[in-house]
Formats: sequence, C-alpha cells, structure tokens
Amino acid sequence: MSRVVVGMSGGVDSSVTAALLVEQGHEVTGVYMKNWSQDLPGMKCPWAEDLADAKRVAVQLGIDFKVYDFEKEYKEQVVQYMIDTYKDGRTPNPDIMCNQEVKFKLFLEAALADGAEFIATGHYARTENGRLLCAKDDNKDQTYFLYRTQKSALEKTLFPLGNYTKPEVRELAKAHNLYTAQKKESMGVCFVGQVGMREFLGQYVTTEPGEIIEKATRKVLGKHDGALFYTLGQRHGLNIGGGLPYYVVGKDMVKNEVYVSTDLNDEAMWRQNLELGSLHWIGDVQGDGEYEVRIRHRAPKVRATLRGTNLQLSEAQRAPAPGQSAVLYAGDECVGGGIII
Amino acid sequence: MNEPFCHLDYAAATPLDEQVFLAMKPFFTERFFNPSSPYEPALAVKRDYQAAKAQIAKTIGAGPDELVMTAGATESINLAISSFAGHKICASIEHDSVRKAVQSAGDYTIAGVDKTGRINVEELAAAITDETQLVSVALANHEVGTVQPVAEIAQVIRKKREERLARGNRTQLVLHCDASQGFGLVDIHVARLGVDLLTLNAGKIYGPKQVALLWVKPGVKVTARIVGGGQELGLRSGTENVPGVIGFAEAVRIAEKHRKQEADRVRNLRNTLQQILANAFPNAVFSGHAKHRLANYLHVSFPGIDAERLVFMLEMQNVLVATGSACAANKSTKSVVLEAIGLPEETANGSLRITLGRPTTEAHIQRAGEAIIAAVRQEAERTGTAL
Repeated sequence: MSRVVVGMSGGVDSSVTAALLVEQGHEVTGVYMKNWSQDLPGMKCPWAEDLADAKRVAVQLGIDFKVYDFEKEYKEQVVQYMIDTYKDGRTPNPDIMCNQEVKFKLFLEAALADGAEFIATGHYARTENGRLLCAKDDNKDQTYFLYRTQKSALEKTLFPLGNYTKPEVRELAKAHNLYTAQKKESMGVCFVGQVGMREFLGQYVTTEPGEIIEKATRKVLGKHDGALFYTLGQRHGLNIGGGLPYYVVGKDMVKNEVYVSTDLNDEAMWRQNLELGSLHWIGDVQGDGEYEVRIRHRAPKVRATLRGTNLQLSEAQRAPAPGQSAVLYAGDECVGGGIII
Repeated sequence: MNEPFCHLDYAAATPLDEQVFLAMKPFFTERFFNPSSPYEPALAVKRDYQAAKAQIAKTIGAGPDELVMTAGATESINLAISSFAGHKICASIEHDSVRKAVQSAGDYTIAGVDKTGRINVEELAAAITDETQLVSVALANHEVGTVQPVAEIAQVIRKKREERLARGNRTQLVLHCDASQGFGLVDIHVARLGVDLLTLNAGKIYGPKQVALLWVKPGVKVTARIVGGGQELGLRSGTENVPGVIGFAEAVRIAEKHRKQEADRVRNLRNTLQQILANAFPNAVFSGHAKHRLANYLHVSFPGIDAERLVFMLEMQNVLVATGSACAANKSTKSVVLEAIGLPEETANGSLRITLGRPTTEAHIQRAGEAIIAAVRQEAERTGTAL
C-alpha cells in the first residue's frame, strides 16, 4: 500500500476517488487545490464552500487534509494563457493547460515533497505503467484533457475512477454516504461557467464593437461587442434575430469583423485537413502514422493520418476551432496530440 | 445519524419562541395594515406597534420615543457609527460590523484587550483625543463571551466630556454599546450602563431575525442613512416591520422575566460541560474572563487539533457547535478576537465556541461532552497530538 495524495475539489468524483483509495488500504491525504477564489461581477466564487465540502468528506473518511495554494501560478499560467489566446482570436482550452501546468506538475511536485508516492485525481481515465488509457465510461472519458501531461507524471498518478461509469460513481457516493453524493456537476472552467466567458474576459481585455457580416452576401447583419468573444461554429449569442440560425464561419481580428452563415455546410466550417502546432507525445507510439483523433472532448474518434504536423482526417469535421486540441489515440491509448492552428 | 439535533450555537441563532410566534401571527395576516394608513384598523395596528416599542424601551430604561427600529443589529451599528465623522475608537475584538464601520470613515483607534478579552479601560481612556466623537464597545464579546466594564467606560467618557466642556470644546463624545449578545442573561439598562447609543437584536433572543433597534439618547444626533417616508423619527424610513417589532417586544418580555433563573441555569450547565472537558483534557484552554463572562458561553481550545474537523465530526452526530467564530470560519480566515487575546495560532485553530440556550438541557450537555471527547480523542490519535 502506498502513500497517496488525492486532489479533492469538493465534488462527487474526487470524493469517491478518495473513498476508493482509503478502501484499497492506501495511506491517503486529501488536498484541496486553491486555484481561484476571486468573485466576479454577479458571481460569488464558491471556493470556500467547495473547500469545506472537500474537508467534510476527508473528515468522514478519517484522512488527513490540507490546502495547496496555487492561486498565483494558476493566474500566471492558466488565466493568462486563456486571455492571450482569446486576444489572438483563437479558442483556448484552460482545462488542458491546468492539467499540464498545475495538477500534473505543481500539485504532483508538492505532493511528492510532502512524502507522497502517488497522486490521485477524480479524472475518468486509466493509466498503465505511465501509459494513458481511455476510461471505461466512454461518455465521461477525460483523456482529451490529459494529453499534454508528462509520462513521468502519469507514472506517479492513480485514476481510481477509470474503471467506473459516472452512474456507478454516484452509486458509490451514496453507498459510502458521502457528504457530496448529491452535489451537482460543475462544468468547464468553474469560475467562468456561471457568469460566462464574456464577463470574465471583460475584466481583462478591452474590446470594441464591430460588425457581424454575412459571409456570402457581405451584408452587415448587426453588431458584436468584440470579435475575440466568437468561436468558429458558434451559434448562440450573435444578437441577430429572425429566420434561420446563423453560425460563425470566420473572423478577422484586425478588422474586428465576425463572419456568419446560415449554411451548416459552409466550407469554412468543415475541415478535413488540420495543421497542428506544439505536438506533444506521451505514449510509446509517436510520430507519423495512422491514429484515431478527437477534436473536442467527448467527440467521436475519427481515423486520421499524421505527416509531420499535418493531420489528414478520414472525414471532414465540423468547426475544429483554432486553439483547441486534436488528441491522438492508438486504440485505447491516448498517445499525444497537438493544438489546431 | 438519526438522533435529534443537539444545537449548542445559540450565539449564532436562536429559535423563535412559540409564544413570540403566536404574538406575531395576526400581524402577518388579518392585521396586515400599514401603520401610516388613515383608517381605524390601521391606527389600531399603529397603537400596538407603539406599545410594543414602549414596552421594550421601558425594559431597558429608555423613553418610548427613543428607539429606532431597524432590520438587524448590523444596520443599527452602522446607523450609530456612521453618524459620527470624527475620530472613533473601538476595541480590537469588536464584531466585524463595528470594526468595519469605525474604519470606514475618518480617523480611528483600535484599543487593545487583555488576555481574557476585557478592554483595557486606561488604554481606551488614553486613546480619547479632543477630536474623538464616538467610542463603541460591545456589552459582551461574540466569540469568547467576555462582558465588558461598560459602566466604567461610560464614566471615563463622562469625565472626558466634562473636561472638554470646561475647556470650551463642544465636540460631541458618545458611547455606543452593541448589546446583541447578552440580553436575557445580564442586566441591560441604558442609565445603569451609562451609554448614549445602544444596539439590541431580536434574532439573538428567540425573536425574529432581521429585527433590531438602536436606542438614541435624547440630545444625541444621529443621521439617517435610509430616507423616505420618515418613519422611526425620520431616522429609518420604510414601512414598519410590525410583526417583527411585536415579536421583538414579546421576546424581550420573556427574556427579561426569566433572566435571573435562566442565567443561573445555563451557567450551571456551562460549568458542568467545562468541567467535563477540563477533566478529559488537562491541556484544554478555556478563553474569556473567568467571572465576567456570559453565562451561556464556553470557548474551549484543543491545541494542535483542527477545530473545523471537530465541527464536521460532531455535525455527523447532529451535535452542532461553532469554530472560533461563525463568520470567520466561513471566510477561512483567522479569528481577529483570538489573535487579539493572544492565543497562539495552534491553539486558536483548535477552538470551539459552544453557546447554550433556553432549550439546552443536562442531557444535551452530557451528550455533547461525550461527543466532543470522542472526537477530540480520535483526532489526537490520528495526528499523534498529546492532549
């Protein structure tokens, strides 16, 4: 049995993770990672409640509990990256960055310094000798968010939920009578989720209103409040009413223009060939070859061929947004990926 | 898990007394009238409202037209303190509502306390300058229950006032007392205390929450923060909370009627629990003044133990107690009070605030004692802490 530090967010997944580790006989310490505590306009950050929930579960399980404070690092490395990427007109993935820089780096280092042999998180994924494998629950599989971690980190990581489905985890929480059993799921970047990315970014960037232009006719359809808020394929929040729904098919950050179309089959929205940057490998299989690929979390995998930094998909995919990741799989194993240019 | 609640956090909240509830009820339904309306049933409500205020006033030795009813002690405190623009003084252990109001405008001095939480009267006297306009002191501290020498402080202030007048300095100098904690356990009479402004809170004495008052001594000038229809002597506009004030009066009546017996009763129970814990843990630290302490307060620290864990463990058995301070716990910040009385951090972090109330029985005390001992022992064993 090992000394394990488990990240506890106060949610049901990490609560069950901790319970399973205790059940398996590990010497477990629960840790709440304090990454963000700032209130936003119209939203009270629930970090103190989440921290108390995590601690309650630790007390229920009779394990040690502490707080690691990564607020400064999170702001510098995740929030700043988010802001910079949006400013660039691309769509960031803060969860991937958080795993890369905070959870599987800073958290791991702090845990090891505290005497841990392993860290554990409530991610739905599996590891086998440092290889990253998809979770049993295909619907919840979170390997997409984990591909930019390091093999050396994964070798020291346990994902106890990898062999359970979400409904099974809920059942386990109830069976263990865990305080957080009934807690609702939090989605995405938790501190942004409730107020919306627009309000959040509004704190950090100044934007100018610009024109929303119908791509085919060059007709101005309305105003937007900053091109950086718009993502390829986006339908909602365009403030242009009536008729068929419009989708974002492109934008020009310099002209501050957003281009839209009612045509779901607009060529700009469907891409079969992707150029990737910042390729990152964690598996044994690496480099050019045949893979299966996911262009967003929970998207079905499609076959693809990688040549250098060029990824040729077997079929066109809708709206692979620049800034998002294309994650590569060899069978069940997540081997790496790159950022869509 | 299914045992009934053993609530021992009456400093945070008290249940509404059944009799108080009955007194309030008609004013929610059939007697819902606005006291400002011109017809007889409304005037009858107005009379009852004024009678309720008069009854509260009489209990504390005030005149019937000297009470400003507010929506909570925090509002009363803010109304009192923000009326004075000049230099202000409060103790280091005052509730956030007092400290923040004092710090929000003009010069201020924070006066220290001794390790029992008693205000150092000499230090406070020395802090009073020719520009000082207000001193604010809680009757009893909300965390450790220490009762302050309010009458003694009032005397100091009276003397300062006379000295000033003799020198032709006509700057107002008043004493505000936040008596939110302690009504129903200690004598609260404005003349005997010698204060100029007094805050009382219905929510702490088995009355409704969000109902409080500020007593303003005749001649003391308070400035309205909420203007409008000119209710409450023009000092607090807004339609009167008639059921709330009716309930407040009834709560005051009941609390005052049983004050002496109730204080003795809870003091005995509190002392029993203190003895139980002291016997079990020789290293336990009890804070607050040994003698000048509210009868229902027990503040105990287990050095090296994480009190929040104890609260969660006890909560699982339906035994409800607070850590050092309910508000401070929510914000995961250190307790200002415990820092001010010089508790080392390790001791402060192991602090429980246990406050008894009217429903507390010997059985509650025994059950709480056993539960706390078991929880502390379990934590001490888990962490290898000697206690």
